[in-house]
Amino acid sequence: MVTGFLGPNGAGKTTTLRMLLGLVTPTSGSTLVNGVPYRSLPDPTRTVGAVLEASGFHPARTARNHLRSIAIASGIELSRADAVLDLVGLGPDANRKVGGFSLGMRQRLELARAMLGDPKVLVLDEPANGLDPQGIAWIRGFLRWFASSGNVVIVSSHLLAEAAQTVDDVIILANGRLVSHGPLQQLLRGATNTVRVRTPDATRLVQLLAESKEEVGRTRLEGQDTVVVEGTTPQVLGPIMASNAIIVYEMTSSGESLEQLFFQMTEGSQLGGGPIAQPWAPPVPAPGGSQ
Amino acid sequence: MTRLVRAEFYKLRTIWSTWVILVITMIATGGLGVVIGFAPHRRAVEEALFPARGTPAWFDDVFSVMGLATVLSLVLGIIMVTGEYRHKTITPTLLAEPRRGHTVAAKLVAAVGGGGVVAVAAGAMALALGFGLLAGGFGTSGIMLTEYRHVFPGILAASVLYAVYGIGLGAMLKNQIVALVVGLGFEVIVTPIFVGALPSVGRYFPSQAATALEQVAAAARSRGGAVFGGNLSHLLTWWEGALMLVVYGVVLAVAGSFTTLRSDVT
Repeated sequence: MVTGFLGPNGAGKTTTLRMLLGLVTPTSGSTLVNGVPYRSLPDPTRTVGAVLEASGFHPARTARNHLRSIAIASGIELSRADAVLDLVGLGPDANRKVGGFSLGMRQRLELARAMLGDPKVLVLDEPANGLDPQGIAWIRGFLRWFASSGNVVIVSSHLLAEAAQTVDDVIILANGRLVSHGPLQQLLRGATNTVRVRTPDATRLVQLLAESKEEVGRTRLEGQDTVVVEGTTPQVLGPIMASNAIIVYEMTSSGESLEQLFFQMTEGSQLGGGPIAQPWAPPVPAPGGSQ
Repeated sequence: MTRLVRAEFYKLRTIWSTWVILVITMIATGGLGVVIGFAPHRRAVEEALFPARGTPAWFDDVFSVMGLATVLSLVLGIIMVTGEYRHKTITPTLLAEPRRGHTVAAKLVAAVGGGGVVAVAAGAMALALGFGLLAGGFGTSGIMLTEYRHVFPGILAASVLYAVYGIGLGAMLKNQIVALVVGLGFEVIVTPIFVGALPSVGRYFPSQAATALEQVAAAARSRGGAVFGGNLSHLLTWWEGALMLVVYGVVLAVAGSFTTLRSDVT
């Protein structure tokens, strides 16, 4: 079971995960793992494996020694250090200093540390961040493998499309608040289909739809002759227009992409308050030109 | 708790800073020992102040350079806590042991061993130097070993307590540079000012408490102010000095556990 923990940057994903792991104290409320706070778990490393940012290594310590120091503190046998290094494909680099590791290797070392206690739950904070496509595919494959044996994964991401390839359930967060949660499939079904109709009777069509018994979403006029109807399909609109003798020049139907849905749900939540779905635009030069 | 302490020792063993501290301790002890033993005295009045070579007091002066171990133990203690924040290894450390008080307690215990090892490094070097001096024809092995046995235990105790004090400073300040500047600045700037102007207050400061502790042997032999380091009459007794250092270490560590180290790890 893989649960995606999604939200734009600054939504509070990392903070929430760190609260779950007892690293950050919530101002109110509580976070529980298996019914108890992380701090009260009798054997935290054997219960939850956590992959946070790809840091937390002494650069001059070797990968094996890094893992061994954690293993000793957790009461885990030293041989697990080599076992998890092999698991993440870092076996040949066990004696290398972490300072010389690439980001992808550090991320895998983090994963190896999380796997030291052979936990049943993995919590990952943006594990794909900064990785190349191969690295991302590798992480995805690892998580699938881990989850396939009945284990639980919680993985945060700010990229819904990226997460959609791995997750079963989603929790969407924006501005520190829960926006939506449920199975991914259900979320996708909720993704609205939009139909655009170009017609000389645009105004009348808008009025008709407002009065119609059929369930259609937001309707708006675009320019003189185009009506954009959200949350509907041509199969619904077609009969309405036919029975009201509305001339149609053009009708297009487009399914909303996952990303658009995500933008919509988390709209206006970006830190700083700017609109989130705006692509980058070059700055407008000041009138009068440069001097 | 045992496993946490073992993990702390393992961490110490696997970073270079520990070994650098030990090497510096040995080089500085050997080098300064020679300097103090053989510094040329230009004026007769100076000559009169310094004990004649080969005498018990001279060996006392030479062996007093082991006192460097306290400052290096302080650095070790500070690094044991602040290094975790500097390299963000505090995150995996706290994931493995989320009860922060336990982590600090393990560091305090490990610091006892760490400070001890630094003192032993200084002690080994000083002993080697002592035998070197004997070979050079200064003093007798009886005098040398007696003085060594008088000086080393105080140094060992002071180093151990200084490492504990370093944990406390680190736990309180968290930032490595700040902790090192405060710790060492207190040693070399604040303390001398107070010792000069207000010795009744200055004697409670860590380095003065350590000096009091290191004088245990000398004091026992009623030679108090006669050793290298000038007038020591303002010092606490050796056990008061030890107590002060324990208080510094434990109070700062406990205060740090409840304030700084409780803060969010982001």
